[in-house]
Amino acid sequence: MVKMKKMMAAVALTAVAALALTGCGEKSGEYPTGKIDCVVPGGAGGGWDTAMRTVVKTLQDTDLVSVPMPVTNLPGGGGGVALADLQKKVGEDRVLTIYSPPLLLINLNGSSEYGYEELTPIAQLMTDYGAFVVSKDSKYKTINEVMEALKADPTSVKFGGNSAAGSMDHLQFLVAAKAAGIEDLEKLNYISFQNNEGAAQLLGGHIDMLSTGLADVSALIENGDLVGLASTAEERAGEGVIGEIPTLKEQGIDAVFYNWRGLFGPKDMPAEAVAFWEETLATMVEAPEWSEACAKNGWSQTFAKSEEFKTNLDRYNEEYKVILDEIGMLKK
Amino acid sequence: MLDIFQNLLMGFQVALTPEMLFWVTLGGVLGTIVGMLPGLGPATGVAVLLPMTFTMGPTAALITMCGIYYGAMFGGSRSSILINTPGDGAALAATFDGYPMARTGRAEAALAMSGIASLIGGLIAAVMMVFIAAPVSRFAIKFGPAEYFLLMIAALSMTASMSKKNVVRGFISMFIGLMIATVGLDAQTGTNRFTFGIMELQGGIDFLIVIIAIYALGEVFKSYKSIQEGKVKMQTKFGKIWITKEDWKKCWRPILRSTPLGFIIGALPGAGGTMASLMAYNNEKQLSKNPDDFGKGEIVGLAAPEAANNASSVGALIPMLTLGIPGSGTTAVMMGALLMLGLQPGPLLFTNNPDVAWGLVASMFVGNLILGIVNIPLAGVLVRVLSVPPRILYPIVLGLAFIGVYAIGNSTLDFYLMILFGMLGLGMEKVKIPTAPMILGVIVGGTMEVAFRQALSISNGSYSIFVKSPISVSLILIIAVSILFPVVKEWIASKRKPLVASFMDGEDGGV
Repeated sequence: MVKMKKMMAAVALTAVAALALTGCGEKSGEYPTGKIDCVVPGGAGGGWDTAMRTVVKTLQDTDLVSVPMPVTNLPGGGGGVALADLQKKVGEDRVLTIYSPPLLLINLNGSSEYGYEELTPIAQLMTDYGAFVVSKDSKYKTINEVMEALKADPTSVKFGGNSAAGSMDHLQFLVAAKAAGIEDLEKLNYISFQNNEGAAQLLGGHIDMLSTGLADVSALIENGDLVGLASTAEERAGEGVIGEIPTLKEQGIDAVFYNWRGLFGPKDMPAEAVAFWEETLATMVEAPEWSEACAKNGWSQTFAKSEEFKTNLDRYNEEYKVILDEIGMLKK
Repeated sequence: MLDIFQNLLMGFQVALTPEMLFWVTLGGVLGTIVGMLPGLGPATGVAVLLPMTFTMGPTAALITMCGIYYGAMFGGSRSSILINTPGDGAALAATFDGYPMARTGRAEAALAMSGIASLIGGLIAAVMMVFIAAPVSRFAIKFGPAEYFLLMIAALSMTASMSKKNVVRGFISMFIGLMIATVGLDAQTGTNRFTFGIMELQGGIDFLIVIIAIYALGEVFKSYKSIQEGKVKMQTKFGKIWITKEDWKKCWRPILRSTPLGFIIGALPGAGGTMASLMAYNNEKQLSKNPDDFGKGEIVGLAAPEAANNASSVGALIPMLTLGIPGSGTTAVMMGALLMLGLQPGPLLFTNNPDVAWGLVASMFVGNLILGIVNIPLAGVLVRVLSVPPRILYPIVLGLAFIGVYAIGNSTLDFYLMILFGMLGLGMEKVKIPTAPMILGVIVGGTMEVAFRQALSISNGSYSIFVKSPISVSLILIIAVSILFPVVKEWIASKRKPLVASFMDGEDGGV
C-alpha cells in the first residue's frame, strides 16, 4: 500500500511536469486561442529583447491580447541561429519574432543563408539610432578625436559591439568612419561580443569604444560610468541623458544610421494571423503606454503595416548592399 | 556603513512581511521540485514558473523568482545524491561523492550535509553581497576575453586532472566535450560546423542533453542487468536526516573556503555554478589528506561544491544588479522579467527602486534560511526514493529524462542525441574515462572559443595578451599547478617508498 502511494506520487509528479512543460490545454474560439511564442533572436537585456518585451507588456497592459505571450531568447550568429530555427516553423500562426537591420546584413555578408524573404513582415514599429560610447575615464572626449586617432593608425582604437562582425554595430561605425574620411575601413579592429557583454568589457577597459544602440546603455550613461560621444540620429532623439548625446552631424560628420525594428512571423504565416497582428499593433501604437515607452527608450515611432514594411525592407536591402560593397564585406 | 544597515533594515521590513514570506517559501518549494527533475535547472525553473509572477508587484515577483532560483539550486543536488542524476550543471559535482554516500547507506547524512552546506554558503554569500558587491563587481569587469579564456582553461584542466591516475583519460574526456561544443552555427562568422545539414543542430547541442544522457540514461543502462536479476539491495530503514559531529568537524573549513570561491566565480558574467562547484571540489581534493577517498563517498567532496554553488547563485546577481547585464542563464531570465515589470536592472535599481533592491538582498537571507528549514523535513520524504525497487524507479527516471530533454528545445532530434550520448557515456564508463571533464567541456567550450578569438582580435593577433594582466598570470600558474600537482605528488609518493623519509619534510610545499 505504501509502495502504491509512492508510485502514485511519482506518476503525479511526472504528469505535473509534463503539463507544465507543454503549456496546458487550449481554449477554443477566435484567433489567437493559445499562447503566442515570442522569439527574441538575441540575449536578454539587448535591443531586440527590450523592444519585444515592451511590445508584449504594452499589448497585455492595454488588454489588446489576453493569451499568454512568453518571450524566449535564442541568441547566436547575430540573429542567424533564431532565423534558422524559425525555418522549422514555416506556415505557423503562433510565433512572432523581432528583427532590425542585422536580418538583412547577416544575409548580405554571407553569414546566414536565410534572409528577410524567409520571414513574413508584420509591421515596422519604431526606429532608433546607434551610439558610440566610451568609459568616463577615456582619453577620447569627442568622436572626432576617435576619428583622428584612427586616421593616424587604423588599429589604435579597439571598438566592440554586441552584434556580429559585418552586422549592425560594426557597420554603423564604419558608415561614420567613412564619412569622417577614414580610408582603410577593413583595417579597423572590431570585436564582437555576445549576451550584451560589450558594456562590461568597455567598463573593464578591455576595449576603447563601444558601438551600440542608444537605448542599450542609457542606464550606464545616466549613472555616469559611460559617456556618449555621438549618436547616428538625424537630430537629437529621446529624453534626459539620451537627448544630450550630440549627433554625428552636429560634429561635422555627415552620416546617419537608422535602426528600424519590426515584428515578423514565420515564412508563409496565414493571412488572417498577419491581419490580426497588423491591426492589433496599429491600435497599440496609438496607446499612451506605447508613447511613454518610446520616449523612455529613445525610439521614434515609424509604424508601417505589412505591405509598406515589405517595400521598406526591399529598399533597405539595396541600401545596405551598397554600403557593404564599399567596405568589401558584401558576399557576392 | 550606517547607511547599509538602514537600507538592509528597510529591506528586511519588505522581505519579512507575511506576503513576501509566503512567496519566497512557495517559490523555494516549487523551485526545489523543479530543480530535482533532470534537465530542469534554475533557468528553466524560473522560466516555467515565470507566468506565476506576472500578477504580482515587482518586489514580490523578484523575491519569488529568487526563491525559485535558490530552491532549484537546493533541489538539483537532491536528485544527484539519490539517483545519480544532476538536475543541472551546478549539481554535477554533488554526484561525485553524494551518490556513493547514498549507495553506502549514508543518504541521510548526504542530504543533510548538502542542505547545511548550501544554507551556510548562501547565507555567507548574502553577507558578502551586502558589504562587498561593489568591489567584487569592479574585480569582475577586469575579466576581459583573455582572462575568461584562461579561467575556463583552469576549470577544465582542474577537472580533467582530478583523478591523478587518470590524467590522460581526463583530458581525452575533456577533448570529446570540446568537440561536441563546436557543433552548430559559429557565432562569430555564422559558418555551419558539423551540422550535417540538420537545421536543429545549428543552435548547437545543449549541455543539459549531455548531462541527462550520461547520468539519467547512463544509470539506467548500467543497472539494466541488476534490474533484471533483482539483485540490487534497497534501503528499507531510514534514520534521521542529520550529520554526525565528525562530519561537521571535517566539513566546516571546506565550506568556509568554498563559499568565497563560489561567490566570486558566480559574479563573473558567464562563469556560473558548474565551474564554481567543480573548482571547489577539486580544490578540496587537492588539500585533503585522503584524496583517494574522494569519489567514494567522502562527505567533504559533497559539502564543498554545495556551498560553492549556492554562493555562486548569489554572486551571479551582482552583474545584474551593478551593471545591468545577466551573470548567468537564470539571471538572464530574471532580467527579462524585471524589464517586463518596468524596472531597469543595473546600477540605478538601488537609487530608483531601493525597496525592490534591498528587499531582494534581504530576501537572500530569508530565502536561504527558509529553504534550509524546509529542506530537512523534505529530505526525510525524498530519501524514501531509495526504497523504490529499481524496476519501478528506473522507468520513471527514464520518463523524466525524455520529458526533460524535450523541454529544452522542443525537438525530437534531442531524443536521438540523448540516446547517442547515453551510449557514449556507457562506453566511456567501460574504458574508465571520467565523464565530468567532457560535460564541463560541452558547457564552456563555446564561450571559451569565442573568448579566445575576441582576445586575439583585441591584441591584433598577438598572444602576449594572455600574459598581460596579473589575473592572467595567476590563472596560468593555477593551470600549471593543477596539471602538474597530481603528477608531481604521484612521483614523490613513488620515490618515497624506496627512499623512506629522506625528503618528506618538503611534502606540503609547492602549492
